[in-house]
Amino acid sequence: MKRSKRSAIDRRQTIDAYVCISPWLIGFLIFTIMPISFTIYYSFTRWTIMEPPVWIGLKNYIFMFTKDPIFWQSLKVTSLYVVMSLPIIIIFGLLLALLLNLKIRGMNLYRTLFYIPAVISGVSVAMLWTWLLQPDVGMVNTLLDLVGIKGPGWFWDPVWALPSVASMSVWKVGGSAVIYLAGLQNIPPQLYEAARIDGAGRRQAFFKITIPLLTPTLFFQLIIQMIECFKVFTEAFVITKGGPLKATYFYLLYFYEEGFQHFNTGYASALILVLVTVIMGMTVFVNYTSKRWVYYAGEDRAS
Amino acid sequence: MSNQRKCHKMQRWQMAIAFALVFLFAVSFAFAAGQQENQAAGAEETVTLEWWTWDSEEYDEASQRAMAKVFEETHPDIKINMILMPVSGFETKMTTALGSGVGGPDVTFFSIANWYPKALPLDDLIERDNFDTSIYYDAFWKTKTQFDGKTIGLPLGVGAQFIMYNKDLFDEAGVAYPEDDWTTADYLEIARKVANPDKKIWGCEILKRPFRAIWFNHGEDVRLYSPDSKVVEGYLNSPGSQQAYEWFYDLMRSGATPSVSDMETLSSENTGPVDLFMAGRLGMATLNQGHMLNAVKEGMNFGVVREPGLEGGERYVNAWSLMVSIWEGSENPDESWEFLKWYVGPEGQKFLMDNANLFPSIGSVAKQYKDADKDYVQGFLKVLEDTNVAIWRGTHPSGSKVESGIKDLWDKIQLNLISRSDIKAELDALVPAAQLTLEEAKKTLGK
Amino acid sequence: MSIPLKGQNKGISPVFNKRITVNIKHVIKTLFIHLCMILIAFFFLVPILWMLSTALKLRWEIFAWPPEWLPREPHWENFREAFKRVPMWGYMWNTLRIIFFKVIGELFAVPLVAYAFARFRFPGKKVLFLLVISTMMIPLQTKLIPLFSMYVRFGLIDSYWPLILPAFTGTPFFIFLMVQYIKTMPRDLDDAARIDGLNNYGILYRILIPLCVPALTITVTYTFLWTWNEFLQPLIYLNSYEKYTIQLGLEMFKGMWSVEWNLLMAATLSTMLPVLVLYFFAQKKLIGGIATLGLKG
Repeated sequence: MKRSKRSAIDRRQTIDAYVCISPWLIGFLIFTIMPISFTIYYSFTRWTIMEPPVWIGLKNYIFMFTKDPIFWQSLKVTSLYVVMSLPIIIIFGLLLALLLNLKIRGMNLYRTLFYIPAVISGVSVAMLWTWLLQPDVGMVNTLLDLVGIKGPGWFWDPVWALPSVASMSVWKVGGSAVIYLAGLQNIPPQLYEAARIDGAGRRQAFFKITIPLLTPTLFFQLIIQMIECFKVFTEAFVITKGGPLKATYFYLLYFYEEGFQHFNTGYASALILVLVTVIMGMTVFVNYTSKRWVYYAGEDRAS
Repeated sequence: MSNQRKCHKMQRWQMAIAFALVFLFAVSFAFAAGQQENQAAGAEETVTLEWWTWDSEEYDEASQRAMAKVFEETHPDIKINMILMPVSGFETKMTTALGSGVGGPDVTFFSIANWYPKALPLDDLIERDNFDTSIYYDAFWKTKTQFDGKTIGLPLGVGAQFIMYNKDLFDEAGVAYPEDDWTTADYLEIARKVANPDKKIWGCEILKRPFRAIWFNHGEDVRLYSPDSKVVEGYLNSPGSQQAYEWFYDLMRSGATPSVSDMETLSSENTGPVDLFMAGRLGMATLNQGHMLNAVKEGMNFGVVREPGLEGGERYVNAWSLMVSIWEGSENPDESWEFLKWYVGPEGQKFLMDNANLFPSIGSVAKQYKDADKDYVQGFLKVLEDTNVAIWRGTHPSGSKVESGIKDLWDKIQLNLISRSDIKAELDALVPAAQLTLEEAKKTLGK
Repeated sequence: MSIPLKGQNKGISPVFNKRITVNIKHVIKTLFIHLCMILIAFFFLVPILWMLSTALKLRWEIFAWPPEWLPREPHWENFREAFKRVPMWGYMWNTLRIIFFKVIGELFAVPLVAYAFARFRFPGKKVLFLLVISTMMIPLQTKLIPLFSMYVRFGLIDSYWPLILPAFTGTPFFIFLMVQYIKTMPRDLDDAARIDGLNNYGILYRILIPLCVPALTITVTYTFLWTWNEFLQPLIYLNSYEKYTIQLGLEMFKGMWSVEWNLLMAATLSTMLPVLVLYFFAQKKLIGGIATLGLKG
């Protein structure tokens, strides 16, 4: 008796849930499943976009894993970029958000100012960075000169190119800070109040209240920014063209050149599916660990 | 409880209906829009052609619109829908449309070799109308409109790369102006003399890729692979190639050029050294007629000379004509042909020459060029007389793929990571990978 | 309301003169914060200043040496010239119209979808949610050709529909954001509302949405920003010059053989203003959420 009632509730919930997600589901079928099934098909073919595709089975994938050093190079470079760039965005974004969450006069203005770099689209920012990091006359090396350090060649040095591109992420923290800012609003102030009465210091409050209650936002940031980092493209496309010596030959750059410049589009389809699989694997992994460190106030207690 | 459930149920139905309505609305709107278009097309007698184009120094937006209007007046049954798009987006949009097989233009530039299979062959139409193709400069006709034994387009205008030199900087350094028979060694010598590192004035720019005439002039065998697109060995690593790379090595070490980072920072995206030249900081720069027009507009004191070669060697010019074609999917090929032969024929090219800055690909029209007596035009004409219009990238579209494979060597020379004597060995080492790339690319791209 | 992070001193002292020290300390702290803010703000302002300087220069002055951080003489007419060259006003208006419908679409779809993922138990939930996230991984370029073919067949090319319709199915980024946001809301809220006789939709629209204002604000501002900066899709789907959007207009300054950087920067700067103005007002709405409950209750 109890069981059947439970299942009736479940059924009703299921129906409601599917009604609710139906807009996304329809969009997913039309805007993702439909095009991506073409991509999956093309990945098993030779295809130049212009001529009809020719079925070649797994050859694209076999070539990629056994004969293509550029594939491995771009995967390596991209992973290194993620490792360098992700912490910058996650940590600096949080610090900036904490700063912007202070209640002082003129905060509206500050918040807007800090948002500016996020507003400017790729090419202008790239152009600016080439000027800032220009080895001979750029602002950064001029400043380094003043303190007696000979600055490196930045984008034009095989060793420094990748860190230089990664450091451009600093400008993106404005965008990531906004999301933290929204997350911070979900922390009930009473908790701090209570902590203070219990004699907890600010540092303790930060680590015992702010961070745990912010974990859902952190989790979101981690996944989203990881995906974005894997998709790094514009910086390399505009500034370094993947060089020098393929030090910044990112995965999407390789995909783009294969697919749209060399018209090796079947292979490019295979490339992108491998990347999606890699990111998906990372996401599942992060999601798996999340059970240990992400705290939801509204967790479904029944499950 | 039951009451509550009822209310709950009703709301669920309301939600479902709301969804249904939204999507019905969207879908019906979609169909209505589609039908409207069909009706509009069916109701009138005239045919509307879609013409994709861009705005450039040689034919700006206004003159192209005016030209379309003139055509419509003389051809009352054809309407031209001119679609102007940013140059930077044209390639993506074309590739998408051609790849989709639907939604492409009737008439447009087929500027990329990979698109050629999708252009309508014109031989039958040319024959039917007795269209005189001998009006076009022969070299451009032969190299720029033929594919797979068929004529697939008509050549609009001509362009060429040549060296523009800043007369003021030459005078300041006391260097004589270059002559047409100069050599690649002269080029280095002059560049060194004109350069003034203290003022950050340089003799010439650095090369970014191996496709300039100055490169090819090093010999017949200076190619990425054989003319029949089969072998890399003996071309990529030929004595001529080695000589060209060594020359490039000398250029990079000469101190006459800006550093790689200077070039990247100070010249804008994909447009080469034009900005540095226009800012008066480059003695010589390899530019084209579009840049020349800008320099004229800015009142620069400059001269024009063709690219140097070897003593007594064959000289080439990197020249082009933009092929305009009809998309094979066009629903109105006859009307498109009417437009194409007018637009790229004497009338259209003359209109764009008179009202804009097009340099026509038709000799008889070019003679009437408004500034024909100016010395820069004379210089340009002289460059075009070299009918050795080279296609040294090979006839195969896989060229770009093979080329990207040798990019590391360019980086190494630019960054001074290898010595001059290593060049031969480096070239030899690149051959197997390049051969593999060529073969793989040929499997995909055919032939 | 107290400001926990800025934190007055540990423990409140009843002693009067100790309070004065606290106040002086407070003033110094505030000053210090302002100083930090101004320094960081300057760092973030560099791109704008540099763009402004470029926008005011003559075309080839930009490439002079030694590099000049200020124009020799400000050429404000570059702004007028930029607007004359390309119909930027019209393009801004077009883009605003697209944004309007997209915002409606997102506000309709995102909370609903997110609500289901955050609160309901249903078969396939975990897989479907992974799919929501994974759609973000696929670059647009891979999907262009099939989508373009589809829109051509439906006769939607050269209309705004291909740009707007996907918003009505919810953008995965916002769905994910909203799911995370709703999940932090205590379930007690739902339970209390259910006892009051609200059904699932009532809970969403009466209880949760008002608390989700910060997340919704992000949805609106990001939709605005992304649509404003979108280049590829308008390029592919729009044909008529009159229907173009901002980014297509900006690309028009990049010529066949050279780029007019000064005009491009002038136009870019001008088109950035609306985004910043919107954000200036929107960020006030970033306050709210569960934190406000304490005040009400």
